[in-house]
Amino acid sequence: MNPFSYARVTTPPAAVAARTQQPGSYFLAGGTNLVDLLKRGVVVPEKLVDITRLPLTAIEATPTGLRIGALAKNSTVADHELVRRQFPLLSQALNAGASAQLRNMATVGGNMLQRTRCAYFYDTSLPCNKRVPVQAGPDKGQPNGPTGCGALGGYNRMHAIFGADAGVAAPKCIAVHPSDMCVALAALEATVVVVGPKGERRIAFRDFHRLPGDNPRQDTTLGADELITAVEVPANELAAHSTYLKVRDRASYAFALVSVAAGLQLEGTTIRQARLAMGGVAHKPWRLFEAEQFLRGKPATLATFQQAATLAMKGAKGYGENDFKLTLAPNSLVEALTLATTPA
Amino acid sequence: MRDESQPLPEPGQPDPSRRAFLKHSSALAALALTPPVALTAIDHSLDERLAAAFEQLPLQVRINGQAQQLSVEPRVTLLDLLREQLGLTGTKKGCDHGQCGACTVHVDGQRVNACLTLALTTEGREVTTIEGLGSEDKLHCMQEAFLRHDGFQCGYCTPGQIMSAVACVREGHADTPEQVREYMSGNICRCGAYANIVAAILDVKASGQKV
Amino acid sequence: MDINPKNQPVDRVDGRQKVTGSAKYFAEFALPRTAYCVIVGSTIARGTLDQLDTKRAAAAPGVLGVFTHLNMPAIPGWDAPVGGQADGPPPQPTAETYRILRGTKILFDGQPIAMVVADTFERATYAASLVKATYTRQTPKTDLNKHLAAAIAPSIPWMKDYSRGQAEAYKTAPVVLEADYVVPTEVHNPMEMHGILAQWTSPTSLLLYAKTQGVNATQRAMAQAFKLDPRNVKVHTEFMGGGFGMGLRTWPQETAVVAIARQLGRPVKLVMTRSQMFQLVGYRPHTRQTIRMGADATGKLVGLVHEATAETATYEDFTEGTVNMSKFLYACPSMQTRYRLVRLDRGVPIWMRGPGEATGAFALESAMDEMAHKLHLDPLEFRLRNYSETDPEHNRPYSSKNLREAYERGAAAIGWRNRPATPGSQREGEWLVGYGMSTGTFNAMRWQATVRVVLQADGSLLVQSAVTDIGPGTGTALTIIAHNVLGVPLDRIKVQYGDTSLPPAPTQGGSAIVSTVGSAVFDTCSAVKQTLVELATRPGAPLAGHQAEELALADGQLFVEAKLATQVAVAELLRQNQLASIDKTTESKGGPEQQKYSFYSYSVHFVRVRVNPRTGVVRVTKTVSVADSGRIISPKTAASQMIGGVAGGIGMALTEEAVLDHRFGRYVNNNLADYHVAVHADVPEIETITIDKPDYLLNPMGAKGMGEIALIGFAAAVANAVFNATGRRVRELPITLDKLLAVS
Repeated sequence: MNPFSYARVTTPPAAVAARTQQPGSYFLAGGTNLVDLLKRGVVVPEKLVDITRLPLTAIEATPTGLRIGALAKNSTVADHELVRRQFPLLSQALNAGASAQLRNMATVGGNMLQRTRCAYFYDTSLPCNKRVPVQAGPDKGQPNGPTGCGALGGYNRMHAIFGADAGVAAPKCIAVHPSDMCVALAALEATVVVVGPKGERRIAFRDFHRLPGDNPRQDTTLGADELITAVEVPANELAAHSTYLKVRDRASYAFALVSVAAGLQLEGTTIRQARLAMGGVAHKPWRLFEAEQFLRGKPATLATFQQAATLAMKGAKGYGENDFKLTLAPNSLVEALTLATTPA
Repeated sequence: MRDESQPLPEPGQPDPSRRAFLKHSSALAALALTPPVALTAIDHSLDERLAAAFEQLPLQVRINGQAQQLSVEPRVTLLDLLREQLGLTGTKKGCDHGQCGACTVHVDGQRVNACLTLALTTEGREVTTIEGLGSEDKLHCMQEAFLRHDGFQCGYCTPGQIMSAVACVREGHADTPEQVREYMSGNICRCGAYANIVAAILDVKASGQKV
Repeated sequence: MDINPKNQPVDRVDGRQKVTGSAKYFAEFALPRTAYCVIVGSTIARGTLDQLDTKRAAAAPGVLGVFTHLNMPAIPGWDAPVGGQADGPPPQPTAETYRILRGTKILFDGQPIAMVVADTFERATYAASLVKATYTRQTPKTDLNKHLAAAIAPSIPWMKDYSRGQAEAYKTAPVVLEADYVVPTEVHNPMEMHGILAQWTSPTSLLLYAKTQGVNATQRAMAQAFKLDPRNVKVHTEFMGGGFGMGLRTWPQETAVVAIARQLGRPVKLVMTRSQMFQLVGYRPHTRQTIRMGADATGKLVGLVHEATAETATYEDFTEGTVNMSKFLYACPSMQTRYRLVRLDRGVPIWMRGPGEATGAFALESAMDEMAHKLHLDPLEFRLRNYSETDPEHNRPYSSKNLREAYERGAAAIGWRNRPATPGSQREGEWLVGYGMSTGTFNAMRWQATVRVVLQADGSLLVQSAVTDIGPGTGTALTIIAHNVLGVPLDRIKVQYGDTSLPPAPTQGGSAIVSTVGSAVFDTCSAVKQTLVELATRPGAPLAGHQAEELALADGQLFVEAKLATQVAVAELLRQNQLASIDKTTESKGGPEQQKYSFYSYSVHFVRVRVNPRTGVVRVTKTVSVADSGRIISPKTAASQMIGGVAGGIGMALTEEAVLDHRFGRYVNNNLADYHVAVHADVPEIETITIDKPDYLLNPMGAKGMGEIALIGFAAAVANAVFNATGRRVRELPITLDKLLAVS
């Protein structure tokens, strides 16, 4: 790690001010991703602003649903009675992520800002379009390693099958967002609450993460000087038929090859409402709007699920080693829908 | 590069090139927190150790029940602080990236990876390491269970497994073998003692002992 | 009476230190003024280093030295031997040479180009990041699959092509199988990172806290490298956080640290990074194998050909026993093996648990399952029909072989009768269920070791050997052996090991340590016992008139077996003879019977798996492993070795593969998040069974090795179970879900 300075703040405005004053500074919350990136030299900061003492840890019911403070730990949220009862999908997704230790450290806000696990991003000697220039020390302003997308034509087993080429002639980045929690929050249509120099702002979850397009460096639409303060989850009728299915290379403590957040509202055997999102398939949690719409009013049968899965795969594209996801993703969706509608 | 025929400076002796470095990078970055006098000191080529002192920040933390007043660089992790500065080598480094669990300690009673915890973030907290759990003469019941069930071979992941196991029981995540396996999956054992570790944890849980 | 009755389980003698964190591993010894060394590795795999800018690193705070090919201190006797004794000859040098920080040629990814030393770990790490290199890059050759045409026959007599019977008789059989099997590069990844802590205690003497499987081997290597009297090189490795083979040689970076410590005049500690654990301390080589097998309608093997082609470095030929077990495991009249190497721009491999035999067993035991299927035979029945009663390779008897019993007991324990005869026909909910089995075998060996035993007047016993314990519980086994011979209570025995100040022992590897060092303990304790008997039966002594054969030792008493009342306390005997202790040191090795028999340990693995037909996810739900490895000395730690083999085997079968991006010749998953070793959730209920029948032809305890067979064959059992569950044959490890998608 490079030498950097460190400041501890106790109020959100002070946090925003500390960051605004010094470009090249980063908020430090759980540290589970940032400290890793510091050790790899992927992030070379001037300063860390320790926000772990900010009073943003509350989990509370609101008239419209649930509000979760940005600094609530992943484990606290996963085990919280309200979350388990009303949003089991979120609880399952959180518990599917990382390890018990990391969930005790990682915060909700930090989880949203987690960087990709792409090997080329992490190895500063390999090409990557996602890394930003060095922000401190003698190399300040210099590119942090070669540019290009190493994963294209390389090791892309973990990589995207959706959205990498949106808005560009050829993909510049095929990395995926690694979070489980965010896949659930996408399906749950959460809202992200942020504060910046100009005050508070609310971002619909579907607009929070972005596709790489021309600017793969940018994972989210969060401003450089903005701080996430909370996430709000609206009440829903999906709790009884929710499944977070994570398909991965080992039984636990591994990132998803494909994950599915599925929440259904059933009336008898008829689907009243469906919310579906996938992880491990795109630069952002991937909502399956078309499949959701298709399922509305249909019987909850295998045939329906399979048709929905076919619809969900429109526009999917493999890049070699991840071609198997073109089969795994729809199969996983069918599996998740089956599990969500199977009585426990 | 350094001419190899030149003798290396003795540790603690000022080295002009190093002071220049300090001045231009890290010390400058520390501006917000550094009293002006420190920069003056660096400018006036005082002892490098003085300069180094200004790269460090005070840290007050309780470790295994003892209040510690320390001075650490912001980039020092809790793991390296324990092992390299405090001689608490029971906490192990197995990957240094939060991928193995060998460094598991408790911070305010919660199990965390010490390798991804910057030491300064533990200000005012209570840290418990394996050394604080029990001793060879007076084992904690989880340590006893690991010994009885042979829940290890080489022993390197063991302190982390035990710290994690204690937390697993305290959290209420040790009701079934499946649950223990899932909630212990953040602790890798390359010798593969998993089955015995799970047996030890379930044994402690079933005994109803206070962990 | 059996001289070694069945042993009772006892707690590990070093367990308290391990569960309290007081056990000290190499990096945890505090030497004043210790400096920290960090390696800067090449980011190319082939080419030359053009420019190396170390100015900024050298000027960084706390830096004590930046060592490169331009200023690396000399290592006077560089050509250090390998020191491995696990499973064959050491890697053989080729025309290419690799010497760390000497010259600008880059031979593999991660090759050290600089070693940076500073007063703190953080400063050394940061300074290392400031070293900047430019290279002339050449296209690296790292892909075994692309360079099979360049395969060579290694020039090592041991690895010569083998043939018996009519060449390629398999072709004449009515049922023929030809198939290729692939084991990818796998990495040992012990939990403790590699490195060394080196201190020159005088200009001609050295103190090393090392991570080595053999302190004597490291001592020899360092004495040779620095032209020192070996007696002045002290190496300490009492606790080692796993090895699995990566500590079977002295690696160049260790030697470099020693040279740097001399230059700086202070202790220097190197702890490598996890990423460097993939690059700088060996790996299980990527190996392609072809099995050609013919059988007749009665299920008898007619002929077998086993070929293997493995990767190695350009600068050393590493070989292992990949094709060995095919030569003798089954009674087959026609047998040919060939072993080839492809030299690639890679660091050199090293034996990894089970070593080549684990690679070979995946091919052979998968093929046996495939052939059984073709013959419509139960795979266990097929193996029994080809059971070898004597060693067909050497035409001599086995010293002992209880494999048939192992098959029977394992089959009963897993419920083999529940195995569906038709693949893909059994379900549990939506999941497919299958059963698989395999056989493993490995040489049972006995080498040479010296042990010192001191029986004190207070009745306590001290046992000393330099042997390292990488985890299996060597100290515990040696304690039990000493207890069995001398009757000293277990808690009054102290075994000291892992230090060159103690009597020499071989490197821990090849499952031979209990057999070798245990025998030395047995022999030395027996010599002590003989002295006791002589003292006790002399005229006028308490047991005068009794013969040695009548006497036994237990609980610190020497007594006449037939007359329990007639006894004398050992302590009393020493006092009467005014002896402070009985102190014996003996050297011990196997006798001529080692040429008359073939010595092997055997294992049988049974597994039950579930496969999700939609996602291809495989879960091992139950395993039974049976070991036929002679008398079990320490049942508790032996069982731990076996369950460890299962966990390693599940990783080998389902998840482990070190992936290179061949465009760069560089690893892209060299960390524990992306290189998947099995975690708790991957490992189910495990049942272990030991046959526990002594083999006194190998050694006086009747014990054979356990460490390798615990893994050997396991991956094939999983592959066979997956086939039984799905009808899909996966011949390339690991069996990841993409290979099984849409199996319903």
